[in-house]
Amino acid sequence: MKTNYLLPNAFKKIGWVLFSVGIISGLYSIFVNESPALFDAKVFAFLVDKFTLTIGSKNTEFFTIYENNIFDELICILLIVGGIFVAFSKQRIEDEFISKIRVESLIWATYCNYIILLLAILFVYGVSFFSIMIFNMFTVLMFFIIRFNWAYFKLKKTANNEE
Amino acid sequence: MKNNLKVERAKKNMTQAELAEKVQVSRQTINAIESGGYNLSTILALKIAEVFETEVQIIFELEAKDWKK
Repeated sequence: MKTNYLLPNAFKKIGWVLFSVGIISGLYSIFVNESPALFDAKVFAFLVDKFTLTIGSKNTEFFTIYENNIFDELICILLIVGGIFVAFSKQRIEDEFISKIRVESLIWATYCNYIILLLAILFVYGVSFFSIMIFNMFTVLMFFIIRFNWAYFKLKKTANNEE
Repeated sequence: MKNNLKVERAKKNMTQAELAEKVQVSRQTINAIESGGYNLSTILALKIAEVFETEVQIIFELEAKDWKK
């Protein structure tokens, strides 16, 4: 039996829906920069830092209830789950050649991701660095999706031209 | 690696798509093998040979450059 750790093809469509909603809400969150009050909620936290009024002092609490706007959490979940569904569900025909493109794209995406991170570590400081870190959580999946689909599209095109 | 896939297909009057279906891969994969752009797995080579009722080495041949690092 072959184990390739991929999800069934049906997950791809669901993935695109989740991922698109994630990207749109992500862009909204960046540009509008406000979280709808609808998403204010009490959440259970394993770990939370509560900043007190005295600047600089904080206390960390474990296993507690915490009030938080969960808009950004939802966006992250959509992007990660959607991204994984899109990236790692099987193509309609998933064969050894597709697997090869998959591996190449994954290596390429990982390089890209960490090159950007290295550049950011060297040349970006302050709050902007943390913004880049946030983007970096999703870019490895995004780079993979772009590279893999581009390679797949190119492959389809050349195959169609030759017959 | 040289391949005579096109010739073997012609002998059997088989399209890339038909061969692809028989050996359970995509047509793009057959196309990539034919154009020499992809070194296929042993198992796929054996399947193709079985479809053409011949030996693997009739269809696929090593070239001198395959020995170069």
